[in-house]
Amino acid sequence: MVVRARVRNAETGATVDMELEQENTVEEIIEGVSAYWEKDPGAYVLRKGRRLLRGQQRVQELDLQHNEELELIPDPEGGNR
Amino acid sequence: MEGTIRPDHLDLDRLDRTRRIGWVDLERIQRARTLVVGAGALGNEAVKDLVLFGFRQVDVMDMDRVVRSNLNRCVLFREGDHGSNRGKAELVAERAMELNPEARVIPRHGRVQSLGPEEMSPYDLILGCLDNVAARLHLNANACHVEIPYIDGGTDGFRGKVQVVRPPESPCLQCAMNRSHFKVMERRFSCTGQSTVFYRPRMAAEITTTSVIAAVQVREAVKLLSGRPVIEHVLYYDGLAGGMEVYAVPRDPQCPNHAGQRSLSEI
Repeated sequence: MVVRARVRNAETGATVDMELEQENTVEEIIEGVSAYWEKDPGAYVLRKGRRLLRGQQRVQELDLQHNEELELIPDPEGGNR
Repeated sequence: MEGTIRPDHLDLDRLDRTRRIGWVDLERIQRARTLVVGAGALGNEAVKDLVLFGFRQVDVMDMDRVVRSNLNRCVLFREGDHGSNRGKAELVAERAMELNPEARVIPRHGRVQSLGPEEMSPYDLILGCLDNVAARLHLNANACHVEIPYIDGGTDGFRGKVQVVRPPESPCLQCAMNRSHFKVMERRFSCTGQSTVFYRPRMAAEITTTSVIAAVQVREAVKLLSGRPVIEHVLYYDGLAGGMEVYAVPRDPQCPNHAGQRSLSEI
């Protein structure tokens, strides 16, 4: 069964709708939207509500409602240089 | 007679205003041994905040020396430090003790990877002020192993984050990471034949985000040592939008740092 979700780019506010299979993983969603928005190489996380999603979680484990919004957030890894 | 006071006696106490925050356990804070790993942008701010708050036993570790481009965000470095032969950790320790002579700040010149469980176990608290995923993972794994709270900070331009790891119950840094983090790590440590290229990208960095993130790290340290609830589990800061949000991180059942442990929800 295909689930449609909306992913928001936390940096620009842009959104894109994704059609997801139950077997898709959070990492695949991150890679899909990063490529779509031509994001700089870097670390990103995906949140659903007040929770960050684990990379290996599958869509079937996310309790994702139709058209529910997820957000792609850059994960800052600098600070010492 | 119980002693003699002066009209201005309250103003002679360096920590009088801190003591007025009733819940702060200043005695425990002064007793705590804190390790700050990284004496760059975040490390400068964190050590400054620690000693001003009243922390008295702080060790600071870094392997680098000052370059002139550090000076836009490092409060404890001076123009003359660039080109000197002195390490960042040594300079931060010296200047922090000028800020608070009651603090004992000990510099440790070396790599994060030289810190193992034995070196970390004497500490009550570790602050990560690092700039790469590999160093973070090393510190995180060892902190989990010896069950010492680890407060990690990270910045990139006007964005930043703080994650509080309280082993053994809480999720750790690795639980919140995914393939995108490991790709970044691989890019930095790409191997070419027999040699390893250590690629260090120059990231956007400025003082306002650095100050905010280091301040949150130190505030969480104060709360943790004073028995107050801390961030659960990661705080993201967006300096352009002017907001902070806290998100929960699920513990990863496959994470090697929790092997053999059960989460609270499983018990």
